[in-house]
Amino acid sequence: MPTNAGYYHAAYLAAAAIYLVYAGTLLWRARRVHARVVAQRRTV
Amino acid sequence: MSATNTENLRPVIPAASDPLLLAASAAVAAVFVRAVRFTPVELRQGPAQKIFYVHAPAAWVAFLAFSVVALAGVLYLWLRDPRLDRIAESSAEVGLVFNTVVLVTGPLWAKPVWGTWWTWDARLTLTLFLWLIYLGYVVLRGAIDDREMRARYASVLGVLGALLIPFIHLSVYLFRTLHPQPIVLKPSAPSLPGEMLTTLLLSFLAFTLLYIALVRSRYRLATLYLALEQERRV
Repeated sequence: MPTNAGYYHAAYLAAAAIYLVYAGTLLWRARRVHARVVAQRRTV
Repeated sequence: MSATNTENLRPVIPAASDPLLLAASAAVAAVFVRAVRFTPVELRQGPAQKIFYVHAPAAWVAFLAFSVVALAGVLYLWLRDPRLDRIAESSAEVGLVFNTVVLVTGPLWAKPVWGTWWTWDARLTLTLFLWLIYLGYVVLRGAIDDREMRARYASVLGVLGALLIPFIHLSVYLFRTLHPQPIVLKPSAPSLPGEMLTTLLLSFLAFTLLYIALVRSRYRLATLYLALEQERRV
């Protein structure tokens, strides 16, 4: 049997990193936009 | 305070307390553990074959996501309901993430099995084109300020982009390719041993749940962007 476990470890880590980074950007953008909406309302 | 329809703005829900996103993340983590620890290794390809349990479900979800973009786009062009545009926008961005996973994990599987990171065969090339089209979709949305024009143009591009999906699925039958033919999504019964098939089906479920959770979060963000746009116009 070929010994190539490193490739699948790399693939699983890459997939997890991509999802986590994306979920993180969703939260970061939501907080930023929410803060801007609230600030905008205070000025009106 | 301005009188807009966004006065009942929902507070931002931290990812750590979003039950659906938590459940989806836990499901994907559980599938990863099952694939790594409790699913047999394929003898010919070795452990690298386990990339299958990430690669194929990510491809399925990317196709699902872009199909939702196309469906929401058609319905938007017909009904002009802005919620449909927000669904399309959300699904396109999440689909792009899953398509990125396909394009990253594919070469990591190809190198040990085919001996090359990339080959310009029909399925790989069309999958890259699909990614580029929906990257263009996201860029297009960011470049147009007028909400209606943005929704209309994006809907048309979203529908046209999804026309590639059946070609990608059928490309292994239509062209000479290194890519294997479907072993699950085909007219006859799946040709996988039971334990591997169970892991794959659980992976499809977990990834689909993650897609739903991410689209839900992205839809909330799109609603927040809309609220910001409306506040600026007041």
